[in-house]
Amino acid sequence: MATITATRKSALRRELETIVGSGGVLSEPDELLVYESDGLTLFRALADFIVFPTSAEQVAGVVRLANREGIPFVARGAGTGLAGGCLPAEGGLVISMMRMNRVLEIDYDNQIAVVEPGLVNLHLSWAVGPRGFYYAPDPSSQQACTIGGNIATNSGGPHTLKYGVTVNHVLGLEVVMPDGEIVWLGGKTRDGLGYDLPGVFVGSEGTFGIATKIVVRILKKPAAVKTVLAVFDRIEQASVAVSAIIARGLVPAAVEMIDQLTIQAVEDAFGCGYPRDAAAALLIELDGLAVGMAAQAERIAAACRESGAREVRTAANESERQLLWKGRKSAFGAYGRVSPAYMVMDGVIPRTRLPYVVARVNEIVAAHGLRVGNVFHAGDGNLHPNILYDPRKPGEEARVVAAGAEIMRVCAEVGGSISGEHGIGLEKADFMPFIFSAADLALMQRLKDAFNPRGLCNPGKVFPTRKSCVETGPVAYRPHAIETQGLAQRF
Amino acid sequence: MSLLDKLRAIVGPAHVLTGVESSPYVIEGRTPEAAVFPGTVDEVAAVVAQAAEASIPVVPWGGGSAIGVGVPPARAGLILVLQRLGAVLEHEPGDLTVTAQAGITLARLQSALRARGQWLSLDPADAECATLGGVLAANASGPRRHLYGTARDVLIGVSVVTADGSLVRGGGKVVKNVAGYDLPKLFIGSFGTLGVIVEASLKLRPLPDEERLVAVRFERAAEAGAALRALLASDLIPNAVDLLDTASAAALGLPSNPATLAVGFDGLGEQVDWQIAELAGVVVPCGGAKPTLLSPTTWPRLASAARDAFDAPAAIMTLSVLPGVVVDTIELGSEAARKRGLESAWCAHAGVGHVTAALRADGSRQDPAPIVAVLEEWRAVAHAGGGHASVAWAPLPVKSALPVWDDAGAAGRLMQRIKAQLDPNNVLNPGRFVGGI
Repeated sequence: MATITATRKSALRRELETIVGSGGVLSEPDELLVYESDGLTLFRALADFIVFPTSAEQVAGVVRLANREGIPFVARGAGTGLAGGCLPAEGGLVISMMRMNRVLEIDYDNQIAVVEPGLVNLHLSWAVGPRGFYYAPDPSSQQACTIGGNIATNSGGPHTLKYGVTVNHVLGLEVVMPDGEIVWLGGKTRDGLGYDLPGVFVGSEGTFGIATKIVVRILKKPAAVKTVLAVFDRIEQASVAVSAIIARGLVPAAVEMIDQLTIQAVEDAFGCGYPRDAAAALLIELDGLAVGMAAQAERIAAACRESGAREVRTAANESERQLLWKGRKSAFGAYGRVSPAYMVMDGVIPRTRLPYVVARVNEIVAAHGLRVGNVFHAGDGNLHPNILYDPRKPGEEARVVAAGAEIMRVCAEVGGSISGEHGIGLEKADFMPFIFSAADLALMQRLKDAFNPRGLCNPGKVFPTRKSCVETGPVAYRPHAIETQGLAQRF
Repeated sequence: MSLLDKLRAIVGPAHVLTGVESSPYVIEGRTPEAAVFPGTVDEVAAVVAQAAEASIPVVPWGGGSAIGVGVPPARAGLILVLQRLGAVLEHEPGDLTVTAQAGITLARLQSALRARGQWLSLDPADAECATLGGVLAANASGPRRHLYGTARDVLIGVSVVTADGSLVRGGGKVVKNVAGYDLPKLFIGSFGTLGVIVEASLKLRPLPDEERLVAVRFERAAEAGAALRALLASDLIPNAVDLLDTASAAALGLPSNPATLAVGFDGLGEQVDWQIAELAGVVVPCGGAKPTLLSPTTWPRLASAARDAFDAPAAIMTLSVLPGVVVDTIELGSEAARKRGLESAWCAHAGVGHVTAALRADGSRQDPAPIVAVLEEWRAVAHAGGGHASVAWAPLPVKSALPVWDDAGAAGRLMQRIKAQLDPNNVLNPGRFVGGI
């Protein structure tokens, strides 16, 4: 498609316009540029067309046309992904779901909602909020990212420690299959029939088809919330405290860790009340019944003190709580004050290996002559080391890439995973062999072939393909346009 | 060398049962060629590879508690019994995860976990004989799924022997993981048709300080429905909300009210006390009696209350419906049985719309027609409630008279494609699952 002729292109454009309407197709080079990357801006690829369907039938029409022409296609939500998962193949179609953004149905009695994929995550919580409900998965980009995109990557967020990730909240999907057939996977009931197709579709990174309707669970807002900040002089103490909390029989809603470099950046930027001299802080949130909340908070505080916390304090009111969370949620943006660029990692490790791995991460990055800020979902062992660097300095990016690969290896060695919530996409495809054997990958390929036998639906993702993988390594972060505009931050 | 000799060479002669010795492993009247008991994962792989080469079906067998689910097989083939794979491989309490072999019984696994202050939040019936692998393969669940979900919410990794005898791992050992496709989800509820689960890694929970179960009795089913709605809309966080009809309540030794809600709470002592007190305020205005405490021994019998209501059930059906129509489903379903002169028993994990119904066998009649007619009507009731229904157990004449599984529609064709990709020669538990898989 990269060599598509002008004649063929204008013929295709006319056909696409008959499907989605004349205002629903972009093909001018300056328009296509907007869609050349996602939140991971180092990978770029230009599509031939961006199309904006408004119904499942239109999506199916576009997909059937792509099949007839042998053109690759990929669905795209808000483009906040961090692994290059929604990049087009060089050429081909990007199918933007942003015009399919309605809440179709809310059933409070059965605690479900039916939504379109282009609906912004937070907008669902807004829609059901007045009746005391919310949608639990809360990736930090939730004010921009879409439910459809969350489906693709099986998004997490801080509160997934207690409430689970996206897949735990999806009951059914209407899907346009890679051949254009419209099929329902699962439905509105909790138990499906036959294989758990919604379960495998969620997290398939756009390679199994395009969701056009999504049945999600909505939860009642907890009656009470308590937010605790524990401050430590050594980062190992904070790591130990995470397992100590768990060992006391508590599963908080969230346990987030923030290290010193990050605290200082956040305090410079926003002044959220984190002690600047602390080596690390844990932001711990409890929710549920009001009864017993104080006793649980006391158990948490005791676990933290026993692990060496020098201070444990509780947010006195909602505005203090919001301020603490602002510090956590704005950390990525705050790195801009201390470094021109950074690369975020997404490894997962067993909780008990936090002290070892956090120390190793810091050693690895230092050995490459770089700095790292750590802000992550400590409760479920999902690390987000952010390696800071200056892309203008020759050779620095290569060192970031090398350090990133070493960190992924360490995560794999301790029995962890190379991605907890961002996905594999293009970025980590060549690192899959760190944790999966050839037989594991072959089975995944067969599963993909059952959904997407021609491979036209989001090709080149998830599976290792590039020969030069080890040299290429992961790629570095540069702020995306929506971040610089303050529309999104990353977790 | 014959297949049996090859199998004996793999697992040892003592671990291959044939002839009359294999009779406990007869499936719906079909006698297997052999029952094979591998002692290691490698032996499982070697047995499956041999079976694949010989084109003989392999039926994975854990505790056998769900072996009667599904379409009767054309041929029983090899029964692959996983009971010798019964070890807990890794349990690090600080990680709140466990990895165990598939053949461990759920009861043994829970007792090992309990000794270290934790539990696996899966509580289906028959925990003494059901194995971990079987519970996952059958997607079995119990009352506490109301709060803690089902296998898809706790399984984080699986090792599986696939149809060609290779060992494949999916997922991992960490609680959050999006690397690659979510293979663990694929094997949950797949009834052994895509691979033999040999090991599983699961998320755990800390044991609560307190847990109590209470009963709320109703004189009218409609009142139970109103109470159920009020409970689900309240601030209470029950860990179980089960609804029992007269026959199921009797099976648990409870008084014979038309409807009884069994509601569980866990957490700190003060939380449990407070919630039980609050529950009265929710259910009494709807017509419920004041909650009364049930013995903890009631818990493991809740999931099978309908099945256990009759000495000899004529059929058992599982219905999945929206929670809001559970009470109506039970009323309509009971009436359908009654008008054909049959007695039924109903229990439901009501908050999640999982309903189980049993029909009492009428010893004087051998005719399956009225039983089939009732089951068909139950299925229609489930469809009207936005759900689906499948036969969980029935004698052969009944099973041959109506589809055991509900119709999965267009998704069923996708399931067939998945089966064709993963098991192209139809070796694994063939012909028993949804859509003829």
